[in-house]
Amino acid sequence: MKDLRSHARNRNWVAAVVVVAALFALPFILNRLGKIGEYWIWVSTEIIISALFASSLNLILGFGGMVSFGHAAFFGVGAYTVALLMKKGGIPLIPALMAAPMMAAIMAAVIGWFCVRLIGLYFAILTLAFGQLLYMIVFQWYNFTGGDDGIHGIPKPALLTPVNYYLFCLVIFLVCFLLMWMIVNSSFGLTIRTIRENMDRAKFIGINVKRFQWFNFIIAGAFAGLAGGLFTELNRFAQTDFLHWSKSAEPILASLVGGMYSLVGPALGTAVLMFLNIFLQQIHQDLIEIWAMILGFILLLVVLFAPDGLVGLYGRIRERIDSFGAI
Amino acid sequence: MEGYVNGSIPLGPFKRGSMDRDQPILQVKDLSKAFNGNMVIHKVHFSITERELSAIIGPNGAGKTTLFNLITGYHLPDRGKILFRGKEIVGMQPYDIVRLGIARAFQRTNIFPRLTVLDNIVSTIITSQRRNLDFFRPVSGRRGVHEKALEILESVGLADLAHQQSGMLAHGNQKRLDIAVALALEPKLLLLDEPTAGMSPEERWRIVKLIQRLWDQLKITMVFIEHDMDIVFGISQKIRVLCYGSLIAEGSPEEISKNERVIEAYLGEEIS
Repeated sequence: MKDLRSHARNRNWVAAVVVVAALFALPFILNRLGKIGEYWIWVSTEIIISALFASSLNLILGFGGMVSFGHAAFFGVGAYTVALLMKKGGIPLIPALMAAPMMAAIMAAVIGWFCVRLIGLYFAILTLAFGQLLYMIVFQWYNFTGGDDGIHGIPKPALLTPVNYYLFCLVIFLVCFLLMWMIVNSSFGLTIRTIRENMDRAKFIGINVKRFQWFNFIIAGAFAGLAGGLFTELNRFAQTDFLHWSKSAEPILASLVGGMYSLVGPALGTAVLMFLNIFLQQIHQDLIEIWAMILGFILLLVVLFAPDGLVGLYGRIRERIDSFGAI
Repeated sequence: MEGYVNGSIPLGPFKRGSMDRDQPILQVKDLSKAFNGNMVIHKVHFSITERELSAIIGPNGAGKTTLFNLITGYHLPDRGKILFRGKEIVGMQPYDIVRLGIARAFQRTNIFPRLTVLDNIVSTIITSQRRNLDFFRPVSGRRGVHEKALEILESVGLADLAHQQSGMLAHGNQKRLDIAVALALEPKLLLLDEPTAGMSPEERWRIVKLIQRLWDQLKITMVFIEHDMDIVFGISQKIRVLCYGSLIAEGSPEEISKNERVIEAYLGEEIS
């Protein structure tokens, strides 16, 4: 039993090293493919940033067991923080990117303080309401946020070639991923999972449930803010869409497809969905018209046949193979 | 056992003064609670002595579980006081009451199903030691906590199943885990709500033996709700009888078995 577990752990480490190495090599390979390669470097960067966003949500969703429909608010706050600081404040990229998670965390602290007082559907609706409220504020406050024009022409540091920015985002993603891995496996992480499993009993073992949910909400918001900041620099603009509730749905769907009870699940789900979306777009322009249908079909398959997502599916297949090998 | 005969129980940090044999650990004073106008607990008044092993009995709907819910802060009473070692606890949050030293195990098993058996206990220990605001150190690296958790699992006979997902355990073992979770809090007062519910007769007695042994070893106060009269009269030092929200009798097993009101209201009904 113990042997099997450590065996599986070794295998996971090998897989992780291979994947990370491949991710570092990817832009150099794509760079040789000319125009189309450059496009795919851009797409890959967007996937990495979205994967960070999805992973951040999953701290609330998969590990905290709460559905938030307002997570884009923090993505948007991070995006606008970077946009405003760089465009209007003339502040360089790195300090602006450091401010993004802080601003998002402050916003998450305010919004979360109210939201964690509710549970289940009521929590979800309140996060949605706060998210849309923030969206409307950004939309209406023309002088400050540029309203629905957004903020364009965000400066690009000279060093940031597409390949460099890809690598920059990849390193930040990996650092954040490691941090989240540590958080999930820490005492705090176990407490969060304990609350997810049985909120009532958690109170009876002495956990101040609301307080821990609040902290978790803030941490998740901070990571989302960083993702938003990175995304702004990639696009060189920030716009109201970043805060819209449909943006909040993306990491939820990605977590469902990838598997929300694991740390890699949401990142994997993001990569699969976004790749599929753009790949179909490349095959035929019309396919994007029916993307919603395709997405619906994928979700149907996941819910029916792989409720724990791709990661759960992988685990089950692995188990089959292992037990087969044992015989 | 010798320790507590002369009144000094080697139980660690809390004040010796409050540890006298006859000192009440819990005082319930004129407690009332109504739900939608229905009196569920009506002017209930009693006190529990340190080191007591006592039972609360009563027909279904007598308010036994509600009484536990009131003591542990899950419900707020309409009227009355609850004192734990002289300290008023009405109005406190459940998690603060737990920290004073009142733990409970539940009638319907109430564990953390998708955590391993071990993690159920580890999580409880780090909470009671207030170590759960540690964000980066892996919890699996806490040797002391793990050893302690395994010890507790050992004491309820679950050590072999430590790495199983707790939701997959058989019913009886889930009940044991539920008790182990409560024990991990190192309570001074342990409330057990029907610890043998839904078990086979042999299993029941195994749990009862376990409870008795734990009570003996840990030198804590235990109160349990139970329907099986053989168990109740077999192990409790004191029995309290609830009927339609009122405490109708209180006393030793012999006294209760002779009490006319109890026979009329409860035991008689059972026999007929």
